[in-house]
Amino acid sequence: MTIHNDAEFKAALAGLDTAGQRRAAARFVERVLDLTADGRVKAAVAGALRGELAETDRDGLFQGANTARVESFTQCGRETDWHAQAGHFVAKGAVACVKAPAAGENLAWDAAMHARMARTCQGVASGAGTETREAEAQYTLLNSLLEEQLKA
Amino acid sequence: MSASLDKGVRVLKEVIDAPIASYFNSCVHCGLCAEACLFYTETGDPKYTPIHKLEPLRRIYEQEYTLLGRVKKRLGLSKPVTDAELAEWQELVYNSCTLCGRCSVVCPVGNDIVYMVRKFREGMSASGNAPEGIKGAAQRTITIGSPMGVKLPAVKAQMKHVEDDTGIPIPLDAEGAEYMVMLSSMEIINFPEYLGAIAKIMKQAGKTWTLCSTAFEATNAGMQIGNSDLARVIVSRIVDGAERLKVKTVISPECGHAYTALRWEGANLVGRPFTFEVKHIIEVLGEFQAQGLLKTEGKETDRLTFHDPCQLARRGGVIHQQRSLMNQVAANFVEMPDAGFMNWCCGGGGGASAIEEGEELRLEAFKKKKSQLDAVKPDRLVTACANCRIVLEEGLEHYQMDIPVVGLTEMLAEHIPDTATKSAEQQGA
Repeated sequence: MTIHNDAEFKAALAGLDTAGQRRAAARFVERVLDLTADGRVKAAVAGALRGELAETDRDGLFQGANTARVESFTQCGRETDWHAQAGHFVAKGAVACVKAPAAGENLAWDAAMHARMARTCQGVASGAGTETREAEAQYTLLNSLLEEQLKA
Repeated sequence: MSASLDKGVRVLKEVIDAPIASYFNSCVHCGLCAEACLFYTETGDPKYTPIHKLEPLRRIYEQEYTLLGRVKKRLGLSKPVTDAELAEWQELVYNSCTLCGRCSVVCPVGNDIVYMVRKFREGMSASGNAPEGIKGAAQRTITIGSPMGVKLPAVKAQMKHVEDDTGIPIPLDAEGAEYMVMLSSMEIINFPEYLGAIAKIMKQAGKTWTLCSTAFEATNAGMQIGNSDLARVIVSRIVDGAERLKVKTVISPECGHAYTALRWEGANLVGRPFTFEVKHIIEVLGEFQAQGLLKTEGKETDRLTFHDPCQLARRGGVIHQQRSLMNQVAANFVEMPDAGFMNWCCGGGGGASAIEEGEELRLEAFKKKKSQLDAVKPDRLVTACANCRIVLEEGLEHYQMDIPVVGLTEMLAEHIPDTATKSAEQQGA
């Protein structure tokens, strides 16, 4: 199956088990990781990319990424720094990579959406506009991931 | 006297109206307002007593509008208000007052202290004594139209993002729509999921709605800084947008002061009745629920509690709707002590969260919310204000409390069956 649009993308992600969702999530966030300098965020994504994580390790990575997410919120009334806001969405994506899944939650889809928002913020910050090719890049990534799974 | 002080004192003289005069005359110095203010209860410092925060205004009232005060002033026996004093008062009038209104409702003689603080802020603003953070927000509102500098392209980008996420089109400038949905900058920047939730809810309810390209921003920095002219400009933009699109109802977002500015003060600010109704999103959701238009499935099973935004519950009187909505999707909803009308503020309202130098005090005041939460030990905290949400998250993080915070509108939307949005997704496919 080749993914061409968001409906197929979402359905394919929903079909992955939790470990698969984390791997996919980490790949999506990895693409925008250069938009943050926060070591806690990078560590969470690196951990998710490594694959199977012990519960305590995952929890530690989650705590770090979640703190980075909270610290990077733009406060009400403060001028928006779109570079920093891109970093905030990367942190949100990293949280999705390592959080404990709740019923009905699609971690990889959430991470993909946060990564797209990060890219959009980067576009606003740089003045390059808000049209991005992030969705298409994510389809390609997921296609590759699914092919890897089939071969394995 | 400097020019700015002269201007500030002149404004303060002007804002002293009959209610303020009667409030100062009525105050019996009982101190009940102190016990109602989280900045006093959590620090124990008497300077945070709400009525004390108005001391320079009280002296101007006495010196200008009472016989004894005038005589004392003439004889040089009264203490004039100075630049240095107003600068010192900045912390009391802005950093340590969120306009939450708790002091007003406990006052035994009925003094609306919030009203007085807001009038005092007008003079503080005119004399240049508003905090830099709020001044910046006001300036951006004038030049860009948004206190956080959000422009229409950013809104359009979020609309596209939400359309991709939900598969539901987001209408912009749809003339004749029933509802015009407003956003706060916070929702545009930090919580795109709010707009997605609105899209799902409106689609299921079968209602027509729209965003407005010339009035998407609901936050009213004029009200926060204490500048009625600016508050009027912001409300006028919304009125113009709503009348251009001929909508029946304008929905104020999950932002407390936006609601107060538009719902309770908007018509007075622009000097005429609105041609449309103004409702908070929680009121609209309550109506949908009552009309059977909000159909959800399943319930959250973890322990949830609700933080009432001050402007919604205490100043706005919206109290039962959020509880009824919570009960629709939460099997284990518990109330914090003092919930509802007498809820304690998150500590960041009224522009306080935009004041960087007030952060330490804000976190100190958060101990009140911590004690409320400690009493019920929830798994998650639900609220209906984007600003509260971030202030709560920061406080919880600071005190190492592992309690996720979620928005009520989004939580409700998550319980709307997929079938309600399926057709749109398929169309998009």
